[in-house]
Amino acid sequence: MKSQNFLTALLILIVMFAFTTVNAGGKVYKLGMSLAITGPTSDAGNPYAKGTEDYFKFVNDTKMLGEDKIDCTIRDDQYKTDVTKRNFEEYLDDGIVMYLNYSTGSTLGLKRDFEEEQIAVLPASYHAGNLDDSNYIFLPIASYSDQLVILAEYVAKNHKGGKAKVALFVHPSAFGRGPVSDVEKAVAAGLNIELVEVVEHGKDLDNTAMLKRLMSKNVQYVISQTIQSPVATMIKDSQRLGLTASSFGEAGKLTFMGAHYTGGNDLIALAGDAAENYFWITAFNITSVPGVGTTKQLALAKLFGRDQKAADSHNYAAGIMVAQVTTEAIKRTKAAGLEINKANLYNTLNKMNGANAYHPYSTTGPVTYSKTDRAGVDLLQIYSVQSGVFKAVGKPLASEYMKKIK
Amino acid sequence: MSANSWLATGNFFTTYKQEQRTFLTSLDRTFFTFFLVLLFGWPLVFELSNKYMLVVDNVLIAIVAVMGLNLVTGFAGLISIGHAAFVGIGAYTIASFCRTIGESHMIITHFWPVLIVVSGLVGAAFGAIVGLPALRLKHLYLAIATLSFQMIFEWTIQFMTFFNQGQTIYVGRVFWLTGKVGRKDHYLFWYFIILTIVILLGFGIRNLLKTRYGRSLMAVRDNDRAADAMGMNPGLTKVYAFALAGFFAGVAGALHAYVYRGVGFESFTLHESVGYLAMAIVGGLGTLNGSFWGPVAIKFLDLQVETLAETAGQYLPSSMNLATALKPFTFGLVIVLFLMFEPRGIANWWRIIKSYTKLWPFRY
Repeated sequence: MKSQNFLTALLILIVMFAFTTVNAGGKVYKLGMSLAITGPTSDAGNPYAKGTEDYFKFVNDTKMLGEDKIDCTIRDDQYKTDVTKRNFEEYLDDGIVMYLNYSTGSTLGLKRDFEEEQIAVLPASYHAGNLDDSNYIFLPIASYSDQLVILAEYVAKNHKGGKAKVALFVHPSAFGRGPVSDVEKAVAAGLNIELVEVVEHGKDLDNTAMLKRLMSKNVQYVISQTIQSPVATMIKDSQRLGLTASSFGEAGKLTFMGAHYTGGNDLIALAGDAAENYFWITAFNITSVPGVGTTKQLALAKLFGRDQKAADSHNYAAGIMVAQVTTEAIKRTKAAGLEINKANLYNTLNKMNGANAYHPYSTTGPVTYSKTDRAGVDLLQIYSVQSGVFKAVGKPLASEYMKKIK
Repeated sequence: MSANSWLATGNFFTTYKQEQRTFLTSLDRTFFTFFLVLLFGWPLVFELSNKYMLVVDNVLIAIVAVMGLNLVTGFAGLISIGHAAFVGIGAYTIASFCRTIGESHMIITHFWPVLIVVSGLVGAAFGAIVGLPALRLKHLYLAIATLSFQMIFEWTIQFMTFFNQGQTIYVGRVFWLTGKVGRKDHYLFWYFIILTIVILLGFGIRNLLKTRYGRSLMAVRDNDRAADAMGMNPGLTKVYAFALAGFFAGVAGALHAYVYRGVGFESFTLHESVGYLAMAIVGGLGTLNGSFWGPVAIKFLDLQVETLAETAGQYLPSSMNLATALKPFTFGLVIVLFLMFEPRGIANWWRIIKSYTKLWPFRY
């Protein structure tokens, strides 16, 4: 009898201890992220992963969610859709409540899975096609289409003398080709530029022929939708041939511009002097234009011992941004007294608009989502390289023509 | 030889027919049957997560593809470095149906066994066409011809809007006797289907190699002029070797399309072709069981190196991208080591183990 009492007491103690531990530890919200830490585009994926990882660590360390914690598993997919699919299956087995993806190919490839699982997804791809027939993909910032159309609008407004002749220089994939039709639609809707040629680049190491051809067609502006390395090759060739404009729209010369993944410090590192006067559009604050956001970004990088290259990367800021949006969605869902699950987080994201818009420190404008608006930051900033660093050009802008052609 | 096959102590043949048996002893047959029961039974006992079931399915699909490659390169001695394109032909056959009649059309979701066979036949047709240069070309020149096919395939897929310019074309969920195969059972369902196909095709190859058509493959590989003198038709043999390889690849492609529920260009690039070739080499060219060992070994290695590269990626400086180099480096190293030290592949280790256990515990 005595030993039975002892056992009962021991059991009660164990149960009490177990419950105490659960309460003390809070809840753990599982998230998954799959991106290219190695392989193609890892120059962007690596700092992106670091940004996300650091911010979630910061959230946990500073108890931003009280006793609750975020457990985000980050896996390398080497930019391969097959591997991304495998990672996603693993995360589903783990019971994630939200998913962070990376490439255009894998986002399009897994779209049906996202719909079936009814899970909110924040990719690093800003391809407008991600949103077609999809309810669960939320672009962190305005699409590549928006970016190219804003650049084209900027050309139309600031070009002097007649109609500006523009060429597009795009990646030979859905990522590159996606915005072309939207630019064409904007032109058809009255945007005052002439789209002379669309060049799909290969892996050429010399663009002399292409640049000469564009010059022969009196092209003055080349807008790129690709990654940094082909742009670096092109602008270096242009500099060698003496074709680069020294200021925006210089007559008889080429002014180069590009979307999010064409620019940043990596472009300056690759192209050197040739990057001077390159116009770049993105939705992220960059460290060469100091502000409150970039101070916090640098402090975060310092806190987790990141090197200067990662700390200064706009991809590091982009990684922080998706982590911020996810954390905010969890925070708001918690504040509403709702359980943190896929459905509630999805609903919270859809309510992130108007007075409820979210203002992360990493971006140039607020993040807004609704059932009909799946692009987060609509206000984008144009930067240009001046004396070896990107400097802001005017105020953040939103596209006028994208609204007309939608 | 003992009249009782269970008591047979060696392989003695009194007729050619006996020599052609698939299982030489009853013990062989029993072991094999037990092995099959194990293959079909383990998923019902040990529940594997979707992630690992996908890996297993992937390995089995690679086995189907490599069996085809082994026929053309291992048995017939014709180098093909465009095998992923043939796999892609199979996958894009399914994708073409999806684009034409819709991804959830009954033909896609209910008649998938027919579509898998159709994909194999389309693969065979393309294989035969690509095999035509083999009538005039050999060795490196033939390799370049198959490489050209790979390039043409990639270009066509990437630029034709019908193929969505290489971006994913979705494939609907299939139906089985019990109804729609849902997400939960998807990979397990396909495991059983692909395993059945592997076994059927494995027996197909095994039986083919016993026929004059199978023997003519090896005869042409060893000396096509001598084969010609012996009354075989080397030209036809080469073309039909490519057609057979195309059929296997087509089936593998269709399975890939159904398992991944989508077809995207990047699964059928030159890099994948080199991967299939590596699997065939590491497994053992010109052996049936090498077609099983190679994919298992390479896919397992891939997984391990992936984990290593991922860990390394966290610590190595990103500017040098050293972690990215780990995978191709390991992959290349394994192939070189096999070519140098074990050109007959893992199949040879299996042969050695079998010979040893046949005599065990006696030395002679």
